[in-house]
Amino acid sequence: YLHVALLFWQQVILCHCTLDDLRVDGRSCEDYRYVEVETDVVSNTSGSARVKLGHTDILVGIKAEIGRPKLDRPNKGCLEFFVDCSANATPEFEGRGGEELGTEIANALYRVYDNERSVDLKSLCITPMEHCWILYTDVLLLQCDGNLFDAISLAIKAALLTPSKIPKVQMMEDEEGTTEIELSDDPFDCVRLNTENVPCIVTLCKIGQRHVVDATLQEKACSVASLLVSVTSKGTITCVRKIGGGSLDPESIYEMIETGKRVGKALHAPLQDILNKEESLGKSREKVGFIG
Amino acid sequence: MPVDTKRLRGPEESQSPWLFVEQEQQSPPDEREDGRRKGQVDVRPIFARCGLVSQAKGSAYIESGKTKVICSVYGPRETERKDETDMKFGRLVCTFRFAPFSCAKRCGWIQSTQEKDLSMALLGSLHPGLCLHRYPRSQIDVSVLVLENDGSALAHAVTCASLALADAGIEMYDLVLGCSLRQEGSDYLLDPTFAEETQEPATESTENRGGMMVALLPSLNQVSGLLCSGDLEQQPLVEAVAACIEGCQRIYSVAQRCLLTAVKKKNPPPDG
Amino acid sequence: MTMTSLQETDVLSSVQPITVHVITIGRLASEACAVNMSPWKVCVPGERLCSTEVCKAGSGTYIRHSFIFASLAGYVVKKNEGEELPVISVARETEAQLLPDVNAIVTCKVTSINSRFAKVHILYVGSTPLKNKFRGTIRKEDVRATEKDKVEIYKCFRPGDIVLAKVISLGDVQSNYLLTTAENELGVVVAHSEAGVQMVPISWCEMQCPRTHAKEFRKVARVQPEYLMP
Repeated sequence: YLHVALLFWQQVILCHCTLDDLRVDGRSCEDYRYVEVETDVVSNTSGSARVKLGHTDILVGIKAEIGRPKLDRPNKGCLEFFVDCSANATPEFEGRGGEELGTEIANALYRVYDNERSVDLKSLCITPMEHCWILYTDVLLLQCDGNLFDAISLAIKAALLTPSKIPKVQMMEDEEGTTEIELSDDPFDCVRLNTENVPCIVTLCKIGQRHVVDATLQEKACSVASLLVSVTSKGTITCVRKIGGGSLDPESIYEMIETGKRVGKALHAPLQDILNKEESLGKSREKVGFIG
Repeated sequence: MPVDTKRLRGPEESQSPWLFVEQEQQSPPDEREDGRRKGQVDVRPIFARCGLVSQAKGSAYIESGKTKVICSVYGPRETERKDETDMKFGRLVCTFRFAPFSCAKRCGWIQSTQEKDLSMALLGSLHPGLCLHRYPRSQIDVSVLVLENDGSALAHAVTCASLALADAGIEMYDLVLGCSLRQEGSDYLLDPTFAEETQEPATESTENRGGMMVALLPSLNQVSGLLCSGDLEQQPLVEAVAACIEGCQRIYSVAQRCLLTAVKKKNPPPDG
Repeated sequence: MTMTSLQETDVLSSVQPITVHVITIGRLASEACAVNMSPWKVCVPGERLCSTEVCKAGSGTYIRHSFIFASLAGYVVKKNEGEELPVISVARETEAQLLPDVNAIVTCKVTSINSRFAKVHILYVGSTPLKNKFRGTIRKEDVRATEKDKVEIYKCFRPGDIVLAKVISLGDVQSNYLLTTAENELGVVVAHSEAGVQMVPISWCEMQCPRTHAKEFRKVARVQPEYLMP
């Protein structure tokens, strides 16, 4: 997908510069591009966020609905992911073109987020074996400029961290035996998810002898393989995955894991600050929205 | 939701009775069931054979403990869809499937998301090992079927697929071998069985739990596939990767011997 | 997208840089066998055969960091060719992996024609049959060498004809293999007349049915006399 063809000499120059810790746009190998995060952009959802990482634009909406828990996890809720690569992003995604990429990203997200350690799934349970909250997380790719996983993970974390509007419910059994859902009367009485351990994904691309964080499409075209590392705020690594069609040296893998852990751990604090600031502004926050 | 209209299925709501049995909370045993050691590179003995499926270009079967995996390779044949890279390199298409009776819980015949995910991981692991630039405009189909899943299905699928590719005569830089591992606390269990993979933790707060699969090109010492999920600190993770790499090296001699037997059986030695 | 290494010597190679590790004793012994060996030595892909100073690389092998490695599972065959270095290759007797390559002579069967080109299925490359058929196209201007613009496909090929052609290019994303018959030795070898009988060639542009004596136009190949059946 998203082929950017670089001439041979361009690739060589890019690799040589990376050796000296200098990238095309002046960043160092471990720097991210300018990130903009905004939450609560879509009012119909339980949580939403929009992330702009360079020219990559991601919109995430989370809707919470009541459903049946999975049979092998009867007292836990679950997350369902769907990634839509819309034709807005590039014309290659028209029709079913983006489906493969979307499934690949969704499968990776399941592996990273849909487990007990990342999100406290037990708190999403209402009645064991009968009802639970299912968080339908829909990701929209509005613009692609490389490094989709990082942007998507930032957006998901931001969407989960905002005061999610998951109301408190109680299941009442009436005389005939049918269960009824009773919502609490207070509209602000919400279940707030414990999102301490939600990880952030860092994608490291191997270019020549070095690896870079937050690769643009051009840099991606020069790299053989990338390593996806998802790191929590405590520094534990929840998922490591090699993507791409090349192979990696074991030594490179160890180095990339170390860099990934360092960069990932450092991502959480600024994100939390931004979101705390947004929350403290409350209603008076200026919503930038989609234009501007 | 894709609906399977070709097969007569049972009622929508069918479930296995084992789900309703109260699972007693067993603490993980100190010794591994089959006598292998914790924290040591102990792989289950492997039986491998090539050339089973007569209609396929190449095929292989691997049995390790109770895990049984079979793989067939077809190709190189003409690609249906083409894009720019296909003009210079061949395309590799991998399909990973669990047979419905392979796991404790019955899987449907339609590929689930987990199977699609494992197919992508298999593709990523095999891709660096093949000389695809020698097959422009062609497509190589690899189809792996897990007949019985007793742990580390993906790792054995990788090994099986690379044996089948070598049996099919597809040019490769090196064999690709897979090994998986389960980390529990401070010990690791190499080549885990299904029970060890799905073991519930002893206490809620057990640190360092996770599962990992590493695919290695042994002669070139390059890692072509890495898939890990869990909750691990950096140091145990790095040690686990090293243990998997060593596990792969142990399997190499078995894979080599299997291929050599297959070559001698299939082809007579050339004259002169 | 292949990656280029950064060392000066390897800039043009399309293979990634690796660290060569010390090989185990077992493999050293087999390597010693490979160098002064009987042809029955079997190898697996990735096995190091010898260095490029001792032999040249043949089919079924690849070169990495001035060593020759096997890329197929088969028998190691070393051929001495006079004064040059011997050529080491890996042979698998059954079904060679031939793909139609540029300038290869292929045997194909015509599936459909229209006024601009003929579509064919490539069945044999040289004398090796292909297990899977590949599609090819013979354009109007590649049918013969002279008077290219006055060619009528209907008078050169018909569906069902067996044609000897040469591959000019692998084509691009939209098209199939591009073939040409613009030589005397290329063209229709076997054709059936409208009566269903195999026709006999009478000139470079006509064939005759032995039963009805009707002549039909084809672009006939001049097959060498020794290949014609009596």
